[in-house]
Order: sequence, then structure tokens, then C-alpha cells
Amino acid sequence: MGNITIFAGGFGSGKTEIALNFAIDRAREVKGVVLADLDIINPYFVSRDVKTELQENGIRLIAPGGELAFGDVPNIPAEIIGLIKQENDMVIDLAGDESGALILGYLNEYITDRQNYDLYMVLNPYRPFSSDLESVMELKNMLERTSRIKFNGIISNPNLVEESNIDVIVDGHLKVLGFGKWLNLPVKYLTVEQQFYQQLFPKYGELLKGIKIYLRPDWLRGC
Amino acid sequence: MKGNEAVAEGAIRAGCKGFFGYPITPSSEIAEYMARKYPKIGGIFLQAESELAAINMVYGGAATGVRVMTASSGPGISLKQEGISFIAEAELPCLIVNISRGGPGLGGIQPAQSDYFQATRGGGHGDYHIIVLAPASVQEMMDFAIDAFELADKYRIPVMIMAEGTLGQMMEPVIPRKMVTEFVDKPWATTGCRGRQPNIINTLHLTPESLEKRNIHLFSKYAEIKAKESRAETFLLDDAELVVVAFGLMARVVKKAIMEVRRKGVKAGLIRPITLWPFPEEYIKRTIKTAKIFLSVEINMGQMLEDIKLVVNGEVPVDFYGRIGVNPNPEEIAEQLLRVAEREGI
Repeated sequence: MGNITIFAGGFGSGKTEIALNFAIDRAREVKGVVLADLDIINPYFVSRDVKTELQENGIRLIAPGGELAFGDVPNIPAEIIGLIKQENDMVIDLAGDESGALILGYLNEYITDRQNYDLYMVLNPYRPFSSDLESVMELKNMLERTSRIKFNGIISNPNLVEESNIDVIVDGHLKVLGFGKWLNLPVKYLTVEQQFYQQLFPKYGELLKGIKIYLRPDWLRGC
Repeated sequence: MKGNEAVAEGAIRAGCKGFFGYPITPSSEIAEYMARKYPKIGGIFLQAESELAAINMVYGGAATGVRVMTASSGPGISLKQEGISFIAEAELPCLIVNISRGGPGLGGIQPAQSDYFQATRGGGHGDYHIIVLAPASVQEMMDFAIDAFELADKYRIPVMIMAEGTLGQMMEPVIPRKMVTEFVDKPWATTGCRGRQPNIINTLHLTPESLEKRNIHLFSKYAEIKAKESRAETFLLDDAELVVVAFGLMARVVKKAIMEVRRKGVKAGLIRPITLWPFPEEYIKRTIKTAKIFLSVEINMGQMLEDIKLVVNGEVPVDFYGRIGVNPNPEEIAEQLLRVAEREGI
């Protein structure tokens, strides 16, 4: 039976880019991967923007469709429950904060029924409300309370987008490790942009995961 | 930070102590940020029952001399216009943020710049203006929040920050600004009148003389703002024959397109109005002699275009390229620039 991997976290922590990368990587190993884009908060920078790439990789995208793809109504695609009950691998990309986790609360019974699922908290320690232990604890409690599911790991995603460099990543990751210790949660992956992968692999080994950025307009670089 | 978070944090650093609003996509993160921060740092966040209530709370808060703000998007800003007119008349400083989406009506929640007329023409009833700042980066979302409060206090005028939805939603690194610690005196504020005559803030003028006098007073202030506060950024303008005018995030896309067409030998340059009101007329005027054509690029059907035409006054042609609901990419703009350049023999 396939696994359900769920990414939750604060606004702008990197959930969507990470979910896209996880889904695409998984699709290279198994067939029938489903990516559920449950970002119902608003349609800016969401997985449904890269529909074609997902199709090319054989991933089934479940997202608000048609006109509702551009809406900000709490529209949960109807087929999601049916798909959770099947055996496919599934990646769930939630919207940020408690409003995003609310959907997970709704889907809770179906997901917990399936038993093999991972709920990851994506943390970018350079984001507001994720840069100190108190805020991170508050975030964790808020997300767990709303979703009624406990986290079982952290995805460390330390970055300053275009201004990221090795130091930014190393320092940020150290901070996330510290949060993990206090929260008693293991850090499952350290996600970095592909360009940093080679250089950081000797230091972090299998913890490291190189990701490709899909949703950020490249014209933001250098202007 | 997200653009919406940066403008909120900028306001906090400017000493803003009250946020009154009603949520609407794509501006809601501003309210959410304040709702989270104020209980910890001291300040009032209040989600009002409606936009009308919110703007009138801003009116009341500003009357006490405290720095206050509201934020919304097009449809909500429309609802606030009555209050904005009152605040402008009462000469109260405040910040209004419009994270714009496409209209008219409910329109959509995609990015747009179609509230340009509403923002720069006053928006509500009566003869008035507000200062309108158009940031182009997340850093400027923070910086302009501070500038906005400084301008608002200096001239006793509402200041609007207007940014397309994308800028509110996107993330860029930000260098935090220092907390503002010095504020101008506000002897006009209603702070309790023990030991002095009461300060009265109202907007009613029953005699024609006092109403006219009031309007003349407001417009002498607007003339001073026009003379002193018009701001713009220019890019490769010195030898530009094709002068593109664009504001907000759109201007950054245009910059990239200009670099692209420059490589193909097209002498293109950019004027990016930073203040939409006052419109930076001087920057346009200075360019009329060297320009063969102006091209206004906007995410609307052609609004700033009219301001450019007013300044150019028929001396050279003014063309327009616009989209609705999307930030066009640099390739699309470059294609348009090449098309115009070829047609005009540039």
C-alpha cells in the first residue's frame, strides 16, 4: 500500500514546491502517484499552475478545477476521499497555517484509517512566525489542534529565495535542528535548491534533498 | 517575507498602533499578521463588521493622533470610499493599503492595476486627493509603509499603498527597517481637552464661504505635495527613444524586457512612477524631446495612459499595452517593445 505524505506549515514555508518535488520523485519509482493541491486560501503560486509538468510525469493532480481553480472559496475536490481510500501513493499539499490544516481535520478519519501516512511540518526559519522557538511551538500546536493529527517529522527548508547561499542554509538548518530537539520531532529532510546539492552532500548525506523550483517566476532574479 | 507581511511589519515599525479591517483576498495576510503581532507587542487589531465600519474606525483612531491603518482589495476599497473622503476632508493622517485584484464588480482575485483611477482621482465624493505610493518589491512594501506614515503625518493626508495582488503574495528577502521613534506633534488631535480649548474634527461646512475656503486650503496643500513629493525611478532613460512607463511589480518585468531589446539595438528606457498621485509629471516632461514614442504598460485597460497623455500633450505619440488578471512575463513585453520599435523606426 502506498504512503500518504502530507506537508503542512506556515504560509510561504515552501510546502508547495516541496510537495511538487516529492510527488515528481515518487512518480519516478511507482505508478499512480496522486498530488492533492488543497490550497484553498488563494490561487497565487499553487501546484495547479504546473499541471502540464505533472501530467508528463504521470501524476494525477487533484485540485480545484475549472473556474474554481482561480477562486478563493473553500472548495475541496470531491474525489479526494475516494482516492485516500485507495492504495495509491499520495502527496497532500495544504494551504498555510490553521486555515490550511482545517481541511486535514475534515479528512482526518479517512487518513488515520489508512495508517501509513506522514505528516511533515515544513519550516523555513527565515520566515516570520517560524524564526524563534516560541512561534514554532505555537505553529505546531495550532496545526495539530486543527488537523487533529500529530506531526511525525520536520522538513528543514532554510532559504532566502534568490539570496540563499551555503551559509544561509547551514545556519538556518542548525536552527531547525534546535527546534526539532525541543519539539521532539526528527528532521526528515533538508531541502535545498539543486545548485547547492553537490556542495552540501558531503556534509549532510542522505538527509539532503535537492529540489527544483517550479512556481517562482525566473524574472525575479536580478531585477 | 511575503509582500503582505512586509507592509504590515513596515507599518508596525512606523509606530502604527491600530489596524481596522475586513478580510479579502489577496490582502488578508496583512490583517492576519497584525492579528498575530499586536497582542504580543501592544496595539489594536480589530476585524470590523464591514469595510465601512473599518474605515470609520480608522477615521476615529487617526483623529486621536495615533498612527492607524486599514488594508483591503478593490471591492473593499470601493466600500471604504465614503470614509476616505471624510478622512481627506478632516485632514487626518492614515495608511490605506490596496492589494489590487481585477474588477469591475467582484471581478476576480488575480493581480491587476485597474484601481489606478480610483486611487489617483480621489475615489470618493468631493474634490480631494490622497498620496498614492506604488511599491515594486517586497522590500519597498516595508519601506513605503514607513514613508507613507511620515508623509501622512507631515501633510495630514491619507496615504495609500497600492500593489498588484502578486506583490502581496510573493516572497523576497527583506532588510528590516529600524523602529521609528520620532513623531511630529499633533496639536490638532482629540486627546482630551483638559487645560485647553477642545479640538473639533468634523467635515461639515454649512456656509458656502467656509466650504470654498476649505477646498482652496486643501488644494494649496495638494499643490505643495505635487511640487515636493513626486517620485519616480528611471532606467536607461538618457538615450531612450522608446520610453516605457510602468508602475509596481510590472515595472520590474518591463526592466527585464528593456534589457532584452537593448541587446537587439532598440533604445528603450523606463520611467517608473513611484507616486501615482502626485503623478511624476516632470520625469515625463524631461523626456519628451528625446522620445519618439511613449508606451504605457499596465495590468488594466489603460488608465495611467491618460496621465501620460495629459503631460505629453500631443507632442509625441503615446501607445498602450495592457493585460488583465496576469503579470505578463518579460518575453511578452519584449515582443511588444520590438513591435512598437519596428513600427516607429526605432
